Amino acid sequence: MSESCGNPNFESEALMSRRPKYDKTKICVRCKLAMGSVVIRHVVYCKPCFGPMVATKFRRTLEPHINVTPDAGPRRKALKAPGSLLLGFSGGLGSVVLLDLVNRSYFPPSNSTGDASSEQTKSGNGIGLRDEKAERRGGKDHPRNLRVWDKGSVCYVEICGAFPGMRDRTEEMRDLVNSNFPQLEFISARLEDAFDDAWWNAVGGKLVDGAFRVDVSSEELHLSAMSGEATPADRLQKYISLLPTQTAIPSAIQDLTRLILLHTALYRNASHLLLGTSLTSLSVSLISSISQGGGFNVREEAQEEWIPPDSRSRPSQIPIRIIRPLRDVGLKECAMWAWWNGLHIPGREKHPGGKQGVGALTYNFITGLERDFPSTVSAIARTCAKLEPKQVSESHCILCQRPAQPGIQDWKERISIRSFIDSSIIPPPHVSRDGIFAKEKSDSGDLPSPGLTPLLCYACHTTLTSRSPRGTARNADMASPLPSWVNSRLSDSIATTRKMGEGAMRDSIRDFLLEEDP
Amino acid sequence: MSTPPTLTINVEFGGGLELLFANQRKYQLSIPVLIPPDTTATPPSGSAPPPILSKPADITFLIRYLKENHLKERPELFVEGETVRPGILVLVNDTDWELEGEGDYALKEGDEIVFISTLHGG
Ligand SMILES: [Zn+2]
Ligand SMILES: [Zn+2]
Repeated sequence: MSESCGNPNFESEALMSRRPKYDKTKICVRCKLAMGSVVIRHVVYCKPCFGPMVATKFRRTLEPHINVTPDAGPRRKALKAPGSLLLGFSGGLGSVVLLDLVNRSYFPPSNSTGDASSEQTKSGNGIGLRDEKAERRGGKDHPRNLRVWDKGSVCYVEICGAFPGMRDRTEEMRDLVNSNFPQLEFISARLEDAFDDAWWNAVGGKLVDGAFRVDVSSEELHLSAMSGEATPADRLQKYISLLPTQTAIPSAIQDLTRLILLHTALYRNASHLLLGTSLTSLSVSLISSISQGGGFNVREEAQEEWIPPDSRSRPSQIPIRIIRPLRDVGLKECAMWAWWNGLHIPGREKHPGGKQGVGALTYNFITGLERDFPSTVSAIARTCAKLEPKQVSESHCILCQRPAQPGIQDWKERISIRSFIDSSIIPPPHVSRDGIFAKEKSDSGDLPSPGLTPLLCYACHTTLTSRSPRGTARNADMASPLPSWVNSRLSDSIATTRKMGEGAMRDSIRDFLLEEDP
Repeated sequence: MSTPPTLTINVEFGGGLELLFANQRKYQLSIPVLIPPDTTATPPSGSAPPPILSKPADITFLIRYLKENHLKERPELFVEGETVRPGILVLVNDTDWELEGEGDYALKEGDEIVFISTLHGG
């Protein structure tokens, strides 16, 4: 700003505190006529231009990924998704705005071909999706006016089962969705469903006889047979209570929620799972994910494709695309959209301990940064989107089912006091003939001890074990239940191993897995 | 002997902030037109000695006023220092306060000031 050649540090500090949040003029950058109503990352918009701006960002992120073959360049083909649509709903600001945008854009009321007309009736001073000029260019037969997904559903995963005494908000969310977005079907799920055979069966999972538990006090995460009857909520609470740190709790909840949503999407023949992660929330989760060992999957935080593990037996299975259409839309834009359209935000329920984790600290840091230096937050997301792991992963973590970094075991073996094992060949667990015994087989001498560690990504291993195992007393209580999808795949691995007919291997399975047998 | 002049403004809370304010979304407030000059601000460079009430009531004052008179719980969720906590948006007559001078905006009779929380996340 200053042309002088004074001390640049002094100059910039002096400017920093008094700098207006907008560049140069208060006139809207889009229509260049109206006085601005809102400043988004230094750019000024008037109220009528703000709505189309948000809607454009939303579409630009989502629409290239709707058709099976993504379009490059200007779109010519009509948008048609190969399956149905599932929206993840938390009750938070981003997810309410996502529902509203999806509902207006792709599920207009049946008496209307587009959403532009219904816009105005909904709220007198509401803001619309469409730029009138662009609308005229698009015309009446624009592909947007055909239904992109035949069916749309909203899944709310209630987490109160993890924390006794927490409020169950399922009915509140059901009412909100049914009354505001009647074109979308409401589906309720619960966090404890992850540990519920009935749910697993209902979403088409393969039921297995006998479940596993994992000794979280051991770095190897030794497995044994689960004994006794416990309700799904008991198992969930046990799982949460055995997590080593406060930070691990929100991570674990997020991972369980994600897999519940994915299996729901799979069962519903969904081709797309949309999440209401805003730019702000994405930056928070990127930073906190990296700080918790999730650097390998940093790109998946923004966008990912999930190929269900069973897909080999069902070749027609389409992968499910997980898309965050608000990843270029900050929380400020979400809040203004919601305010100007009169949307009610029930909010996400805070759970005990949520305020102390790395995620919450990162959240405070990012929101402060976003207020004072608004452009930095989008820079974080853009930078992370460019990060790419050096190695390509062929295996997937058994717990979160994201790509698992190859060679984690090598590294873990190097930092722990063990004999050298050549584990350069760790086969992808879910296609492997050897499964969980791959490592142990090469370990001559000692009895193999089946563990979950080789099947986990670094982040999940950290979530389960980041407390020093040496500082923890080993007792029977350190055995944690596992989600159904983990049990299912472990059973597959073991069944395969059994068929191999190796006497020693069978013995070891008996020792470690069937100890409850008479 | 006369009471100091006041102006009437309307305050509204959104995005869950009303929970901190006795769950009341809308307030009509009568606040003084002039307030004592901010002790931390630079004294005016003019010649006149500063009177006791010298500065027009601004949004910074309103934030303090709300905190002292109407905020019922967890002030850290509303204020940070002399301003609102990051993640809270302020609208002045339906316009982002960042276009209106933020805390320095001098309140006028009939102004509509809205505080919206984004802290419910996505
Ligand atoms: Zn404009
Ligand atoms: Zn994982």
